[in-house]
Amino acid sequence: MSSNSSEDAITEKILNIAKKNPKGITDKDVAATIPELSSEQRVMMINKLLQQGLIDLFKQGGSFIYRLKTQSSKQAVKGADNEEKVVFNLIEEAGNKGIWIRDIRVRSNLANTQLNKVLKSLESKKLIKAVKCVNASKKKVYMLYNLEPDRSISGGAWYQDQDFESEFVDILNRQCLRFLQQRADNIKNNPRGPIVGRTQSYATAAEVQKYITDLGISNVKLEVEDVITILNTIVYDGKAESSVYPDGSKVYRAIDPLLPAPGLVQVPCGVCPLIHKCCSTGLITPQDCIYMNEWLD
Amino acid sequence: MSHQLGRVVSEILHRYFGEIVQQVGKDLFTYGSKPISMIVKTTGLPRAQVVESLRTLLKFHLATFEPSSNEVNADYKLIPDNVLLLIRYPRYLLQMKSKYGSEAELLIEELLQQATCSATILLVTIAKKYKDDEVKNITMSKLKDTFISLATAGYIQQAPVEEVKEGCEIPTLVPVATIVPELDTRHLLHAMTMDISEITDNVYWEVNYDRFHLDFRDEIMIKAVTRRIDENAGEMLQHLLRLMYLTSAPWAPESNPTPVLELRECCQRVAAEKPHLNQHFDQYLKVLEENGAGFVRRCGEAGGGQYMVRPRQAAHALLLCTLEHCVTERLGSNAARIFRLINSKKYIEEDDIQKHAMLPNKECKELTYKLLEEHFISVQPMRKAASAGGLAKAIYLYHINLHEVAHTAAELCYRALHNVCRRAAHERRRHARLLDKQRRVRTIVHGMRLRGEPQPNIDDVEETLTPPELAVLTSVEKRLKQLSAAELELDRTLFILKWYFMYP
Ligand code: SF4
Repeated sequence: MSSNSSEDAITEKILNIAKKNPKGITDKDVAATIPELSSEQRVMMINKLLQQGLIDLFKQGGSFIYRLKTQSSKQAVKGADNEEKVVFNLIEEAGNKGIWIRDIRVRSNLANTQLNKVLKSLESKKLIKAVKCVNASKKKVYMLYNLEPDRSISGGAWYQDQDFESEFVDILNRQCLRFLQQRADNIKNNPRGPIVGRTQSYATAAEVQKYITDLGISNVKLEVEDVITILNTIVYDGKAESSVYPDGSKVYRAIDPLLPAPGLVQVPCGVCPLIHKCCSTGLITPQDCIYMNEWLD
Repeated sequence: MSHQLGRVVSEILHRYFGEIVQQVGKDLFTYGSKPISMIVKTTGLPRAQVVESLRTLLKFHLATFEPSSNEVNADYKLIPDNVLLLIRYPRYLLQMKSKYGSEAELLIEELLQQATCSATILLVTIAKKYKDDEVKNITMSKLKDTFISLATAGYIQQAPVEEVKEGCEIPTLVPVATIVPELDTRHLLHAMTMDISEITDNVYWEVNYDRFHLDFRDEIMIKAVTRRIDENAGEMLQHLLRLMYLTSAPWAPESNPTPVLELRECCQRVAAEKPHLNQHFDQYLKVLEENGAGFVRRCGEAGGGQYMVRPRQAAHALLLCTLEHCVTERLGSNAARIFRLINSKKYIEEDDIQKHAMLPNKECKELTYKLLEEHFISVQPMRKAASAGGLAKAIYLYHINLHEVAHTAAELCYRALHNVCRRAAHERRRHARLLDKQRRVRTIVHGMRLRGEPQPNIDDVEETLTPPELAVLTSVEKRLKQLSAAELELDRTLFILKWYFMYP
């Protein structure tokens, strides 16, 4: 039974590394620690462990990770009644995207009150947790206690405890704009011709990301996509235009509006909140309007 | 025809022509078109005054007439757009001065005041007026040359003549093709000595506003491109526009294709002043097409490439820019962000606005509703087919109906313009006595200077204006100046809106 004992040893090893990395291990990690294993054998072993319910399989950023099932959760579910087990399994299945209470109810066929009770008890045992969804503040989803919520639930870098960090976004918006503006003037009368000038005035999202990272204003790591989101807000602010390079990467360039401030906004009436109430006679009239007085003095 | 437009129009008529014309104009504005007897009835003015006012309005093209259904009476109609042009007069003069010099300015000024006038009388009046003015040094031959070049360039044109059709007592005005006249300096000088009534020149001239407006349009487009790219690109657009006049209707939404070769020739001709443009001609053309806000487009390959200018697109882009400024100032830059976002996505749901604009949920909603309230955006509910749960949820799509928003902006402009005019009138009325006094002192002093009276006497007269009075006067003058500058600026905004409305 030598094969059997060696199998046990390998199982042990895999479980050990999984234990050391509670966040999960990848296939590569396994291969690195037990190099003598062929990939086929590795898959077999993993499958076996999965079958035994010792580890869990997650998908993260395109690759699979394995994670040790917490002993406690197993035990807890063991001790629980049937309903709790069913609900727990449903929540477990949903992974880090979580599952909505309505879906649990439909799929578990439990009555509302009963389900609430089950969820409460699971929550009090710290097996599951409720996470608020950022794009629907009322909607709560349940997931296993030790999971990190997915971006679509937590909102990614812009959210802290489900609260939108508008100041952070504002700062980034300003910094990105500053970066773009630094090079924007290159297009004007560039001695090497306007096309070179234009290329010099463009910045790719990756460049901006590097600049922002170097500034060190963010303690969260910003991906290129995050920076693109910010850059797009600058485009919507009308302070930059974007275009696409032949290789498909997006580039941005700071621009001025086509017109200087038009006459309408230079007179007090153009920005006056009372304009619709302002008449020739009555309480609000142009003759003795205080906005006008201030503006004329 | 909005109520607001009516208010501005009446305020402007009051300023330039007084109360009676204002009443008649207002009446015509409210009722569309009507014959004299009806105007008399509704305004309660004596018939003679109504006729007099109508004459003034007709003279300055502020109203028209057409035979009513019985073919005996004439129905009169106000042209509000032309009334608004009264505000633009200073700009016409400035344009003339910078383009053709001060003679042209005088010519246009006089012609605007006369509305229509024959060439001889016009030139003679100006020459007489400035006979003694040594600073300006106006000579008849210079005036004549200017007149001819203005006629050639189309800034002035022959006024329409009236024609009476068979069986109808009401004449109609028929436009005539302008023929550039042959004017003889000797004849003109001879006319100087005659009495005005003896002059027999019966070809009448008027100012061609449209020609000025084309100039304004070109200027706006060129300035915009200059801001976006640089002067060389602006220069290139200017050449393109000039070539456009040769081949297309001047206000066409898109010009006919212009071959690159012709454009290159133009740029080569100015190579001395703009070596940079000439050197990088192809590059500038490409950048102008790609980054010039869509003013110019490549439209064919024949003959080395063909390009066209797109005034319609330009009007669209400039309108958007105006609106964005307006939203920014009224509701803040975050609202402007939402406005642009909605515009770029065409139709968008509320949740998506929040996601793309990166604003806190609450603020974002608030701003969206404010935009909605001020009619900058509109909302389109879409009912989903009742879903399985019986919960038919409607989704609300936000979008921008640019035409409507432009109208909103026009309303704002009219309101603002009305308020500014009214305020100016108020200031004038409040200090009427002082302004009057100042005017009188000035004429007296002027007369004394001409008569060469000693300086102490002049000082005495001048001192009748006390220092506090002078202080008030300077402040009033400053205010009035600011108000009229504001009128001109508002008029610029209206110009862009009108330009946009030109293309349905
Ligand atoms: S006159 Fe004064 S109150 Fe009236 S719209 Fe203008 S700024 Fe507002």
